[in-house]
Amino acid sequence: MRAHEIYPNGGPRIGVYVCHCGFNIAGKVNVREVVEFAKTLPFVVVAREYKFMCSDPGQEMIREDVREHRLDRVVVAACSPSLHEATFRRALEQAGQNPFFFQMVNIREHVSWVTEDPREATEKAKALVAAAVRRVIFHEPLQRRRVPVKDRVLVVGGGIAGIHAALTLADAGKHVYLVEREPTIGGHMAMFDKTFPTLDCAACILTPKMSQVAAHPNITLWTYSEVIQVEGFVGNFRVRVRRKPRYVIEELCVGCLQCIDACVYKDARFPDEFNLGLGKRKPIYIPFPQATPRVVLIDPETCIWFKTGKCKQTCLEACERAAIDFKQQERIEEIEVGAIILATGFKTFDARRIPEYGYGKYPNVYTALEVERLVNASGPTGGEVRLRDGRIPKRVGIIHCVGSRDERFNRYCSRVCCMYSLKLAHLIKERTGAEVYNFYIDMRTPGKGYEEFYDRLLQEGVHFIRGRVAEVTDWAITPDEEGKLIIRVEDTLVGAVRRIPVDMVVLAVGLEPQPDADEVRRMFNISCSKEGFFLERHPKLAPVSTFTDGIFLAGACQGPKDIPDSVAQAGAAAAEALALIDKGFVELEPNTAYIVEALCSGCKTCIGLCPYNAISFDEARMIAVINEALCKGCGTCVAACPSGAARQHLFEDAQIFQEIEGVLAYV
Amino acid sequence: MASLEPRIHYEADLDPSFAREIIASSGSPSLMSCIQCGTCSSACPLSLYMDYTPRRIIAMVREGFKKEVLRSRTIWLCASCYACTVECPKQIRITDVMYALKRYAIREGVHPPRFPIPVLARLFYDTVRRRGRLTESWVVARLYLQTMPLRIPGMSTLGWKLLRRGRFPLLPEGIRDRRGLQRVLRVVERREVAR
Ligand SMILES: Cc1cc2nc3c(=O)[nH]c(=O)nc-3n(C[C@H](O)[C@H](O)[C@H](O)COP(=O)(O)OP(=O)(O)OC[C@H]3O[C@@H](n4cnc5c(N)ncnc54)[C@H](O)[C@@H]3O)c2cc1C
Ligand code: SF4
Ligand code: SF4
Ligand code: SF4
Ligand code: SF4
Repeated sequence: MRAHEIYPNGGPRIGVYVCHCGFNIAGKVNVREVVEFAKTLPFVVVAREYKFMCSDPGQEMIREDVREHRLDRVVVAACSPSLHEATFRRALEQAGQNPFFFQMVNIREHVSWVTEDPREATEKAKALVAAAVRRVIFHEPLQRRRVPVKDRVLVVGGGIAGIHAALTLADAGKHVYLVEREPTIGGHMAMFDKTFPTLDCAACILTPKMSQVAAHPNITLWTYSEVIQVEGFVGNFRVRVRRKPRYVIEELCVGCLQCIDACVYKDARFPDEFNLGLGKRKPIYIPFPQATPRVVLIDPETCIWFKTGKCKQTCLEACERAAIDFKQQERIEEIEVGAIILATGFKTFDARRIPEYGYGKYPNVYTALEVERLVNASGPTGGEVRLRDGRIPKRVGIIHCVGSRDERFNRYCSRVCCMYSLKLAHLIKERTGAEVYNFYIDMRTPGKGYEEFYDRLLQEGVHFIRGRVAEVTDWAITPDEEGKLIIRVEDTLVGAVRRIPVDMVVLAVGLEPQPDADEVRRMFNISCSKEGFFLERHPKLAPVSTFTDGIFLAGACQGPKDIPDSVAQAGAAAAEALALIDKGFVELEPNTAYIVEALCSGCKTCIGLCPYNAISFDEARMIAVINEALCKGCGTCVAACPSGAARQHLFEDAQIFQEIEGVLAYV
Repeated sequence: MASLEPRIHYEADLDPSFAREIIASSGSPSLMSCIQCGTCSSACPLSLYMDYTPRRIIAMVREGFKKEVLRSRTIWLCASCYACTVECPKQIRITDVMYALKRYAIREGVHPPRFPIPVLARLFYDTVRRRGRLTESWVVARLYLQTMPLRIPGMSTLGWKLLRRGRFPLLPEGIRDRRGLQRVLRVVERREVAR
């Protein structure tokens, strides 16, 4: 069908607008030539160029033309539609036109940025404009769909980021489900004694927030639980959560810990996960005194009853509230939420991957996280820095950038380890009076009060040796090196290679994505950056959003960051989620599929193919029916329908074919 | 010329209390907060001729490289212009540190062999202490005798010219109350030793 056949009385009136985008486009494409060319195309009434079409005057130009020239179709040749399609559709709407009488041509990412030769670039731009002009003639007026939004939010991960986001939303009156994988919330922060740069006590600032979470009427806290399935779309997610059995009934346990005392194991003898194996626990235990919820759990791997089926079950007798339940099964909960905040945090680099540093080989080489537990007043040594053999170290070396800034492992800087190394240097010196050496490549202390903290450490007399340590060895050369670990390093400030004997080595391990980040990302249908952290929608302008509407990010799951930044981001994510659910509805693109009833033969081909179960069969009329609210516009049914009855708005056959013909006719 | 010997440095060779002593005698506690930015070295008009730049001297003092620092030419080349001190972002009194190192070196009797500047400093002070006045001809003559006797013949024409113009007095000058001056200086010296 030809356009003039549909429009016998004069036809559509099209305006074409070509953007310079500063030099981004005009530096390669001859914009004037494209405009002159557009004027020659059928039905084009006006064609103009402008420096920045997206600016206010640019939009006003379009609005004015729509009114004055009675335009009913608009084509803008500029940047990517993902950036400004919404802007120009809005301009059309403001001028009183249906916003879908619009087509955008990407002559920046698709042309000027990727084509070397200016001549070719200009020709390509002309071809694409020709295609858009022919396509837009066949556009139809469409209405956006409004879908109501569930006003509940799911927060995944109960570290400081997840806690802060959950509390912010709950305080705003929204119901929050907080799902945490471990038996307690708190994340990494719960392991620290002090936090840089102010050295305030981590527990003093964290535990009040943790108990607030447990007590908040608007928060449903599910620890020892994991999300296993996510369906739906922005405003309407259906989520399934698996709650692992703790063999203790959460609602009954009051955390009196009598069962732990009563366990047939008189002494704690199993490595304690929370203390990274530096302490011991029983088969029935609580991770740490302030664990939230304050509920014990039984580890079936070490409990005699689970291993042999034979035990006096003294714990069960000891519990006055009959909270212990050896038959507890895992439970699956199903919830519906409008928005999701991911705050799954990070893991630390595995120091065994750098054999030069001897972690796992020399007992006195520790990771920074282990030392956090050693300096912690409620840690396995009660806050005393003692080596595994009980000695107090006299000389300690802290090695920076372990696993970071290294092409073999991670290219990026982990951002927090310079600062936590300074913190640990201070704490170790304070607790033991040891000589402390920091071995660094660059000292990175960008933050409020951070450089001042570095200065404080300098004045405290901590040694700062600029140079990346090549190896840690126990091979002594001089008598005073006997029985010590020797750090070999070039002191690039003095200009000498040195051997520095120490009693204890601390490895400032970097921050990495969680090992299951890729599975989690797939489940929530978001993207990861190259290094494996969750990807934000835009690094500057949408730092807590993802490419999936309604899913937000907070904390170290998006990239290495410290507590102040994690909390700030969590607040931002909560605000974004609130803005979404508080509105009550979302508007969806009208790019759904529909069935032309007269053509449908009732073959049911489409029904099984739809990945979103949006198609059902109307037995009475013997035809397929598409539920618009569920259709995501993937186009699968449209391609599959043998009768051509399944069609899709904004992707009509006529539109696509005209577009193709437009390009080809010009070439 | 002193230099870092091309070998690995063992901690046993270093003096862990050196930094503390220099901080005390230079009165510059901020020495510890040096961030090794190198401003001092680039501001210094003489760093070009130094074996270690001022920045490196600070790093070496902090880490206890006493032998190397005291034997270096740097501390003697420092012209006390205070350019470094003016610009240092951490407000470290580098020039005073240089003085402290010079004093330390003189006390320990270590300096680069046949290097004139420490000798000149010593002669300068001796002359003033004894006579209350500096007689340049005497100081220069003794300096050449002690550090570069072979260059004396080459300087004779200049000496002759100075002598004829009355710029090279053969008799040492002096003040009247030399004992009084010496009493004053003894007090100062005792203080210095006590520091
Ligand atoms: C040794 C060390 C010392 C540090 N010291 C400081 C300091 O002094 N000051 C400072 O500001 N910062 C410090 N940091 C940085 C600090 O740890 C982080 O900024 C902070 O922990 C980030 O919080 P988060 O909530 O994003 O992540 P995390 O603390 O890692 O919490 C993530 C939580 O999510 C849970 N989770 C993960 N995956 C899932 C899943 N699939 N389902 C359910 N739950 C899941 C985890 O179990 C965990 O509880 C230090 C870091 C290290 C390694
Ligand atoms: S069943 Fe036995 S081993 Fe297991 S927790 Fe109870 S008392 Fe301890
Ligand atoms: S923050 Fe410091 S220690 Fe950590 S990777 Fe960056 S430079 Fe290295
Ligand atoms: S200018 Fe000051 S801070 Fe910079 S290197 Fe010299 S002494 Fe250190
Ligand atoms: S005072 Fe000495 S070290 Fe400082 S700039 Fe002058 S000559 Fe150089």
